[in-house]
Amino acid sequence: MGEVGLSAYLMVGAVLFVCGVVCMATKRNGIGVLMGVELVLNGANVNFVAFSRYTSLGLDGQTTALFVIVLAAAEAAVALAIALNFYNNHLTIDVDRGNELQG
Amino acid sequence: MPETGDILMFLLTAAWLLPLAGFVVEIYWLCFSHRLNKGAAYCAVACIGLGFLCSFSALMYWGFDTKWAALSEPAHHGHDTAHDAGRTEGGHEHDAHAANTEHADHAEHPDALTKKYYTGTYYELARFGALRVSLDWYIDSLTLVMFTMVTFIATCIHIFAIGYMHDELTEEYEDHEVHLHNGGHFSRPGRFHRFFAYLSLFSFSMLGIVLSGNIFQVFIFWELVGLSSYLLIGFYIERKSASTAANKAFIMNRVGDFGFLIGMMILWTSFGTFQFGDRTDGAHTEAGLFTMVRGQDGKLDVSEDGKQVYLQDAHGHRAEKNGQPLTISYMLLVAAGLGVFAGSIGKSAQFPLQTWLPDAMEGPTPVSALVHSATMVAAGVYLAARFYPVFTPEVLLGIAYIGCITLFIAATIALVVTDIKRVLAYSTISQLGYMMLAIGVAGWGAALFHLVTHAFFKSLMFLCSGSVIAGCHHVQDMSRMGGLRHKMKITAYTMLVGVIAIAGLAIPGTSIGLSGFYSKDAIVASALAYSELNPGHILLFIAPLVTAGITSFYMFRLWFLTFAGAPRDAHVYDHCHENPSIMTTPLLVLAVLAAGCAWGGEGGPLYRLIADSETVPAVARVASVGAAKVILPSHQGHESDVHHVHSTAGMLALISAIIGMSLAYLIYVKKTIDANQIRKQFSGVYDFLVDKWRFDSLYEAMFVAPVHIISAWCVSFDKGVLDPILHSAASLTVLTSKWDRAFDETFVDGLVNLVGTVTYNVGNSLKVIQTGRLRQYVMWIAVGVIVLFGALVTTIPK
Amino acid sequence: MSPETLLTCIVFLPAVWAIALVLFDAKAKEAMRYWGVLGTALTFALTIQLLAQFDSSKSGIQFKFDTPWIANWNVFFSLGVDGISLPLVVLTGFVCLLSMLASWSIEKNVKGYLILFLILETGMMGVFLSLDFFLFYVFWEVMLLPMYFLIGIWGGPRREYAAIKFFLYTLAGSVLMLIAMLMFYFNSDRSFDLLELARIAGGTSAGKSHVYGMSMQVAAFIMLFIGFAIKLPSFPFHTWLPDAHVEAPTPISMILAGVLLKMGGYGIIRIAFPLCPYGAQYAAYFLAALGVFSIIYGAFAAMAQTDFKRLVAYSSVSHMGYVLLGIAVWKIVDGKTVGREYWEMGLNAAMFQMIAHGISSTGMFFMVGVLYDRVHHRDINKFGGIAQVMPHYAGLAAVIFFAGLGLPGLCGFVGEVFSVLACWNFSPLLAIISASGVILTAGYILWTMQRVYLGPEYKGPHPEALVEMNSREMAIGYTLVAMAILFGVLPHLLFDPMHGSIQALTESLASSYEKLYGAIQTSQLP
Repeated sequence: MGEVGLSAYLMVGAVLFVCGVVCMATKRNGIGVLMGVELVLNGANVNFVAFSRYTSLGLDGQTTALFVIVLAAAEAAVALAIALNFYNNHLTIDVDRGNELQG
Repeated sequence: MPETGDILMFLLTAAWLLPLAGFVVEIYWLCFSHRLNKGAAYCAVACIGLGFLCSFSALMYWGFDTKWAALSEPAHHGHDTAHDAGRTEGGHEHDAHAANTEHADHAEHPDALTKKYYTGTYYELARFGALRVSLDWYIDSLTLVMFTMVTFIATCIHIFAIGYMHDELTEEYEDHEVHLHNGGHFSRPGRFHRFFAYLSLFSFSMLGIVLSGNIFQVFIFWELVGLSSYLLIGFYIERKSASTAANKAFIMNRVGDFGFLIGMMILWTSFGTFQFGDRTDGAHTEAGLFTMVRGQDGKLDVSEDGKQVYLQDAHGHRAEKNGQPLTISYMLLVAAGLGVFAGSIGKSAQFPLQTWLPDAMEGPTPVSALVHSATMVAAGVYLAARFYPVFTPEVLLGIAYIGCITLFIAATIALVVTDIKRVLAYSTISQLGYMMLAIGVAGWGAALFHLVTHAFFKSLMFLCSGSVIAGCHHVQDMSRMGGLRHKMKITAYTMLVGVIAIAGLAIPGTSIGLSGFYSKDAIVASALAYSELNPGHILLFIAPLVTAGITSFYMFRLWFLTFAGAPRDAHVYDHCHENPSIMTTPLLVLAVLAAGCAWGGEGGPLYRLIADSETVPAVARVASVGAAKVILPSHQGHESDVHHVHSTAGMLALISAIIGMSLAYLIYVKKTIDANQIRKQFSGVYDFLVDKWRFDSLYEAMFVAPVHIISAWCVSFDKGVLDPILHSAASLTVLTSKWDRAFDETFVDGLVNLVGTVTYNVGNSLKVIQTGRLRQYVMWIAVGVIVLFGALVTTIPK
Repeated sequence: MSPETLLTCIVFLPAVWAIALVLFDAKAKEAMRYWGVLGTALTFALTIQLLAQFDSSKSGIQFKFDTPWIANWNVFFSLGVDGISLPLVVLTGFVCLLSMLASWSIEKNVKGYLILFLILETGMMGVFLSLDFFLFYVFWEVMLLPMYFLIGIWGGPRREYAAIKFFLYTLAGSVLMLIAMLMFYFNSDRSFDLLELARIAGGTSAGKSHVYGMSMQVAAFIMLFIGFAIKLPSFPFHTWLPDAHVEAPTPISMILAGVLLKMGGYGIIRIAFPLCPYGAQYAAYFLAALGVFSIIYGAFAAMAQTDFKRLVAYSSVSHMGYVLLGIAVWKIVDGKTVGREYWEMGLNAAMFQMIAHGISSTGMFFMVGVLYDRVHHRDINKFGGIAQVMPHYAGLAAVIFFAGLGLPGLCGFVGEVFSVLACWNFSPLLAIISASGVILTAGYILWTMQRVYLGPEYKGPHPEALVEMNSREMAIGYTLVAMAILFGVLPHLLFDPMHGSIQALTESLASSYEKLYGAIQTSQLP
């Protein structure tokens, strides 16, 4: 078994990303969609860290990953608040019911 | 001691202005007083009576001042040309009496007896540089005679009118000639005051004409007598016929005045003055019209080629301006004379403007007597006589023919008229024609002589007819009268005096007759002398001679129909009565004067007084230099042309008159000849005469109708041409602005709107993508990313 | 009072009075009317004071003063009076007072009416007194607007049509005048001073030898003339007049006929002739012919009218023709004025005719108005017999109509006859034609009087309303009659103040033309 290379990390990141997107696209539950978002973000984070490790970028990748984590936490807080409100208004968190912004 | 001229001026001015004062008082009275008192009448009579006293004293004063030189036998200075040169250089004085050598003091005091006229200025109306328009007075013996005559007759007529207009003294005057639309008779308050106010206004205006010192002033009063005549003819304003007659009179007169105005323009532009006499202004003497035309010797100063007339100054020389002699073209002088005479035609109802006078009989009878026979209509003759020095022989010829035509036409119409006043009206026209004829044939004195005698006998006859009308309760048709002399003795016999006077009857062989005999005699003699000298114009003698017979016929016809024979209408006859003495006294007074005023004929005082004023003594024959080759006869002294033929002419005229009278007697009294028979025999002529020679319908067709047509054209030009031009300009503007609006609304606005619409439509069509479904968006994002990557991968070159 | 204050007061006192009217309660009609009468009476008194201070022996402009107004453009507030404007100023004061007294029949929005009326008076006074072309133009326009509203609001049934017609006509005229004004302005070193412009035209201005070119003079004269001829009105610019008169209320008709028309004649005498002597003599024959044609045309048109007011309006056209005729009789042979005295007579006659027409025509409109106020119609054929029911009125009306007819002893005679007499020297043909006007005038006036006043009874509508004039109407009627007689008997009262100025005008124009003619002969003129 050889050295675990960059492409392996990228592969994991890509799988995570695709899983997240699929999750966002398919889940009707708002929380599920949020989870998909987390997956997408973390897929990206994996890539940042991996590029940070295998290229000459230094700590920039890690730093950005940390920012993304913080951002994701904040985003989760806001999104959950929205979901709660959405539930209060619609007694459901089915995102298909939230189509009032349609043109 | 004031100057003679000033005293005369003062007296005549008083006589002139008193009626004006009377007018003002009467108008005031009319507005604010009780209707039933006679105050206005007494006021008017007092004013005009005082006026007569003033005029008469002026005449007397003038007579004594000149020691009655005018009445003495005129010397034969016609053939004594040496005296003509002896005129004074003063300009103010004419020296026609230079020949009166019997006045011993003449040599020492050349001015004392030689003043022919007095003139002066009341006040200036306007002054433009050297041009000057003023109100002047001009007094000579003619002025004095006219003043005395007018005021005297006016006084008589005023007194007569007090009686005649008595029934106007009421609050409720019922006019039976006017029918209201509800079928009743018209009734109105009486107009006694108004009548006398108008009479006073007339007297004032008439005296103004006589006193006028310039032609412009004559024109002013000319119009004012026209106004008074208008007011008096239209006195019964509710009668349509009266107001129409008044309009007709005024407008016909204006037609004449149109010519008058043209004459004045020519004079004004050529001479620069309107003044009759010379005016002395300090040392400087300015020549008047008469001097400018005639110079000191009474002859026209015509240039060699006969085309120019040299104007004269006051000192017997040719007038000059800037070194150039002043001239007027001969034709222009003729035109000026004809123009002024046109005014006379209108006022004196001469052919072709004669038709207004018969209609003017709509006025009350005293008016007809005063205004339309004795004074105003004679003003035309007066003007022609006054202006005689300016008339060239051509103008005189025209005047003669106009007079000749008029006297014949009017006399023939008078033959068939049955309205008593209209007979007199036509006879007035005819007699005025005689006067004009006389002026035309150089019988200046004869014309004015006839003017005065005519004034007396015609006013007498009109008043008599008024007396008949009042006595018969406003019946004017002679065919309903007859035999009235039994009931109205005074009226009938005073009328007879008038009739004999106008007919010119005399005792054959003695030359003693009433006034008309002498004056008509003088006219016919002048006409005969003229036609002997100018055989081509024999008509000018024949017409008056024949008409003398016609005159005599229709006047006696009038008298016989009215007063003689048996009553034809018993009702009229039974109710007829003689009038009170306030009406008959004036008749008697006038009858005396109508009979005797011309006493002495052409040697008598009246003629001498008048002839004294002749500014251009036509003593010698004058041959015309202009287009018309005529010779004017001489007529003073025993060897003159007129004197030679005088007895012949008198005889012929008398025979003519006697024939006329006898015919009337045979037809209307003896009835040996049946009037109806003649009428049937000559029915065409008769109808033509009854239609007054069809002048009225001719004028209606020639003037009245075209005027209305042209005025309708003018209105339709305004409505049909000028207004449409304006309107189409306006609608063109409106049309343009509509186009402008359309352009703005479709093109400019359309472009802006298009941008908006397109944007909106695009947005609208894109909004379907915006589904609001979260999952769909995510899918699109994913698909988009894949597509982008795909594109990236495929397009980026390796 | 110093002359400057006097002139300024005459112009602006009515405007001040109008402003004060704003303070009145709109319901206090009587109070406002008396206030208006007071204002016009005071103005009239001031004009009389001006007349008293005026020295008629001098020929030039008197009491002239200039105050810079728009200094950048060389515009001055410049007023003054001479023998030509003085009679018109007094006439304006007089007619305004009488029309104000005749305004009692106005019931609708009295306040607005009076304010406009007084502003109108300011405009008219300003036109007659201003000596600066620009100022003249401004006042000309100031007078226009109130008139528009007075006709358009207080008029008869077709008031809007009449008001717009009046407005457009006059405006067209003033546009032409504006162009001419600018032509002079830019050809004269930027001056609006009428006297200076006239001096330049006459070649007597100090330091300026150049004169306006021939074609420019002709063009400017034609434009000025059309502007003034519309106001006069002369054929063919007269059709606004009958409509305006018929629709305007009686007092406004009185002002329109009495004063407004005179501005046309005044403008020609004051501006058109002195500023373009060449153009004036170039067009003189045409002007005179137009005047004569207007006389005849107006008389004919009047004869065919059935509306009483329209008839009087056409009689105005006819009468104002004499004004034009009198002004234009300037005969020139080889550069020399021939018979200058006759021209002087014509100009005097024109001025006299303007004043006389101001009296007689005002009177005629007033007399028509008195009838209209009672029976509310103006159809001549429905009248008749008025003299039976209103004898006093009929007597006064007869005098006024005879004044219009040109009867001697009344004011209409002198102007008419003098202008006709003066015309022979200029052109015998025109003189003869114009003289025939006396027949036509007599025709239509007598015929009208017969149909309206004579006859046994009145058969038209509202016979019960025909009551004798009240004391206010009598006062107006008697005043007009008195003036008509006064000027008819003593015309020199009017000629005396005018005489010097007109003589000076004719002399200066004659000499200007002689100089111009010399310049033309030696081709010095562009």
